[in-house]
Amino acid sequence: MSSPAATSTAVSFLKRHDFLIRRLHSLSGLVPVGAYMCVHLLTNASLIGGASVFQNNVFTIHSLPLLPVIEWTFIFLPIIFHAVAGVWISRNGKSNLQNYPLAGNRRYTWQRITAYIAIVFIFTHVFHLHGWFQNEWWLKNVAEPLGMANFRPYNAASSLANAMVGFIWPIFYVIGVLACTFHFANGIWTAGITWGVWLTPKSQARASIACTLFGIFIGAAGLSSLVAVKTTKAKDAEAIENEMYDARLKAHTITPDDYKRSGQHQVHERMPEPIE
Amino acid sequence: MIAPRNEEASRNEEASQRRPSKVNVRILRQDGPGLPAYWERHQVDYEPDMNVISVLQKVAAQATTSDGQRVPPVAWDCGCLEEVCGSCTMVINGRVRQSCSALVDRLLEADANEIELRPMSKFPVRRDLVVDRSRLFRSLQRVDAWVPVDGYYDMGPGPRISREEQEQNYPLSQCMSCGCCLEACPQYNKIEMQREPGESDADYTARKNAAFDQEFVGAAAISQAMLFNSHPVGKNLANERMEVLTGPGGIQECGNAQNCVAVCPKEIPLTTSIARAGRAATVYSIKKFFDR
Repeated sequence: MSSPAATSTAVSFLKRHDFLIRRLHSLSGLVPVGAYMCVHLLTNASLIGGASVFQNNVFTIHSLPLLPVIEWTFIFLPIIFHAVAGVWISRNGKSNLQNYPLAGNRRYTWQRITAYIAIVFIFTHVFHLHGWFQNEWWLKNVAEPLGMANFRPYNAASSLANAMVGFIWPIFYVIGVLACTFHFANGIWTAGITWGVWLTPKSQARASIACTLFGIFIGAAGLSSLVAVKTTKAKDAEAIENEMYDARLKAHTITPDDYKRSGQHQVHERMPEPIE
Repeated sequence: MIAPRNEEASRNEEASQRRPSKVNVRILRQDGPGLPAYWERHQVDYEPDMNVISVLQKVAAQATTSDGQRVPPVAWDCGCLEEVCGSCTMVINGRVRQSCSALVDRLLEADANEIELRPMSKFPVRRDLVVDRSRLFRSLQRVDAWVPVDGYYDMGPGPRISREEQEQNYPLSQCMSCGCCLEACPQYNKIEMQREPGESDADYTARKNAAFDQEFVGAAAISQAMLFNSHPVGKNLANERMEVLTGPGGIQECGNAQNCVAVCPKEIPLTTSIARAGRAATVYSIKKFFDR
């Protein structure tokens, strides 16, 4: 419960730090959130090169020490901040596209529409593949019974292919990836004005072309990884992944972790059958 | 000289055949501040080369709706009648512009049936098409949109301004504070307050200004701040202006929809001013942080 006085101090706190909050919102959209998205989509696109190429990249990422800390500091918390501040910002504006159907105004409105799509997409996507919290109780009792937390980093391509069976999830991902791509590309363009990088209409038009090309590139990377997932044969991929896992284990470049592997194989592969 | 006149006459005749004998107008009226708004239809005789002001003059003189009902004359604001004072700004067929330069022939080309007139939606209505734009003038006060040269003593000749700077500043100096940029801005929201019973003029103004000072200054004031920040003497207040532009309701409220520059009747490069203010705000806030 908050008293009217407390609410008004909260409002005036936000108002007093309005400039800082909005600049941090702009910055967090570029770095780390946007920069992370680029790395993420490009890593995913490496699946075009086959399950082994992709698995190799995922192994590299999962060899980072304190991965959950890195995830929360540089990915989850900045995304949550960007989303919360963004919703607050978008609620201050009122689209008037009907009366002013201009290019810039269209982008303004779509920046907000794609923002809301991106919020729903990212939170669902992280739950669908990652599970939100890498906590045993949470994964076993909440995420997995709901059919979530499907990604297995040590069986990357095969677990993805299994998670993307059917057409509902792939369509959801296509919409989500395109929304995020537009939001980021257009966000770079508006950030360039916000921070005062491109000033004149001419330089803004040039920047707009550059941002469009960048958006097409990143969007294509995202979509091609989805195509690659749909054409991946889970069985074949899994066999390769398990071979790579054993090799990595032997080379001591990864630590064994059952939660990062597909369930049906772990007992089978890690312990040799007793010979009678 | 006879031939061209004949030609012109025949052209006029041709044009008048296409033109209607009557002009229909739909006006969003409001009897006073805070009262409900209502639509009213009027019909006036067509004349060649009318503008919206001359239509409103006829509407007010008739004071009768197209249904024949007697109504109080419609109220509107106007001044120069040549698009330099900004006082006749209203929303015509959904788009904000000056009514003096809104030519009826052009409007009928787009929609022959009717001309729709509404008061600006971002300012409180005083009556009918007259709005209270005091927030716009307050925003100019907020950013000290002037050159500080007070006093009676001779300060000698002013500093020289380069040709390049003159060319950059002249377009900005054409702003007439009409408010089109604010009306079209999706980030600029209406603030409407009512005088409390027994409240004095000074108290009411102070209360309004306190509310205005928390909200977006808008493109016009940002552009004026940039104009005076690049003036050799106006520069003296540059930090004060940047303090306001990085404070509540400052430059950060801009959402980059760029409607302001599209609707500005003076074609002021408002988005360039906004980007310049953004760059200045970046530099100013970093300086302020590390200089304290």
